[in-house]
Amino acid sequence: MSDTIRIFQGPQHPGVTGNMSLELELDGETIVTAITHVGYLHRGFEKLIERRTVLQAFTIVCRICVPEPDPYEDTFARGVEALAGLEISERAAQLRVLTLELARLQAHLLWMAGQGASIGLEIVPQWAIGDRDYILELFEQISGARVYHMYIYPGGVRRDLPAGLPERLLEVLEMIEQRLPAYDRVFFGNAAVRKRLQGVGIVDAAEALRHGYAGPVLRGCGIPRDVRRDAPYLIYDQLAFDIPTASGGDAWARAQVRRAEMVQSIRIMRQVIDRLVPGEIQCRLPKHRKFKIPRGETYVQSESARGAFGFYMVGDESEYLRRMQVRGPSTVHAFTLLERMLVGAQLSDVALIMNSLGICPPEIER
Amino acid sequence: MAWTLDIKGLTQPFSALGHSARKPHTLDYPRRPTPPAKGYRGFHVNNLDTCAGCGNCQDICMNEAIDMIQVDDDINPKNASGLIPRIDYGRCCWCGLCIDVCGPDSLAFETDYIYVSPDPNSFLYLPKKRADEAGADGEAPQQP
Repeated sequence: MSDTIRIFQGPQHPGVTGNMSLELELDGETIVTAITHVGYLHRGFEKLIERRTVLQAFTIVCRICVPEPDPYEDTFARGVEALAGLEISERAAQLRVLTLELARLQAHLLWMAGQGASIGLEIVPQWAIGDRDYILELFEQISGARVYHMYIYPGGVRRDLPAGLPERLLEVLEMIEQRLPAYDRVFFGNAAVRKRLQGVGIVDAAEALRHGYAGPVLRGCGIPRDVRRDAPYLIYDQLAFDIPTASGGDAWARAQVRRAEMVQSIRIMRQVIDRLVPGEIQCRLPKHRKFKIPRGETYVQSESARGAFGFYMVGDESEYLRRMQVRGPSTVHAFTLLERMLVGAQLSDVALIMNSLGICPPEIER
Repeated sequence: MAWTLDIKGLTQPFSALGHSARKPHTLDYPRRPTPPAKGYRGFHVNNLDTCAGCGNCQDICMNEAIDMIQVDDDINPKNASGLIPRIDYGRCCWCGLCIDVCGPDSLAFETDYIYVSPDPNSFLYLPKKRADEAGADGEAPQQP
């Protein structure tokens, strides 16, 4: 008779971050082996995109990651622009950065909600989801949609900012900035939270570099890597912002990084609003069926709230992309990292670690 | 990990109790519906006086949610095909590409978005209300 038991956590489980499953072999409460199972969410995005024109395909890419769709829209748009030789206006680039940072802010609020819920601190999800709703209202005004915005388009953005939006945005930013000390008291400065997160899910800095971990996981090891700084896109090279890091490589360090990134996002958005220039928001595009993508290939990168990701895109002189491959941080974090990290961890830490790594199953099964 | 006494960290979370005296900032009770933002992507409206029946909306729809069909209503005499779009709301993803490519700007979004029906066939929606009748205040995205 075996001394261990085998259980599945997920795909229907409040502690997993999406439709994926973890097969855990337990010795008491301690995990002996962990195997990641995916396949519950496969929608074949990469193949669907190969059978749609680029203007049609941009409506699919945002669905690759539900919590933060905008970086995907922007990366796809920049890939098409790189292949087709399009240039976007300065205003369009500014509006994109505004959208991307707003998306990062709401993604971090959503992470905070998930992290709070994963350790049983239910007040944090209630606050964070409520505050995130103010950002979704802004998205509703900017793009006409709350979650899947379908706003960033090859050649620019689809709508200009509605009247009064910059003022409203500044109000929301100020509100969130004033709320952060309250989150500090309840979450980041809470001795119970610190005790719960410290020493859990430790990542070694050398391993993080070797295996290509990204985002808060990497910066939580004290390595200041960020695509916005290392390979600037849009107007990030003109903006002043810091790359927050923390030491320790554990869930607590990653929480500190995300907390600091929220402040940096607010700082970036204020700069963009100060610099907003009038102008066109879209460049002239060919008609839908005549928009041929020249022969060539490109790899475009972005920094999302979960880390660096990229699209490899190939054109073959047709109106379709010959190939588009998504390289998301969740794939590496969910397989290479999570399976090894869970060995020796406690069962009650599984949800905490998954949230801390920011694993997004739709990104794995694109 | 060694435990160090953190008095501040243990006491300051109780400051959240102060929020219990504050007015809720989420939903009011009794609930008041929140009006959608101007430009929200709700139902489609199609101005039959200007719809040219070109089928660009059908062509660009990546979900193949749009069929061009014949109707008995009065339509634009210059409608080339005599057909107008019908949208399958079981397939539509509200991307708005159909509105982007609409040459005569007859297709638009209105901000209404709630529809409930036990009949699945009723989700084959015929956006034939005229924009002025529907009171559409949705802003069509700019033309590509």
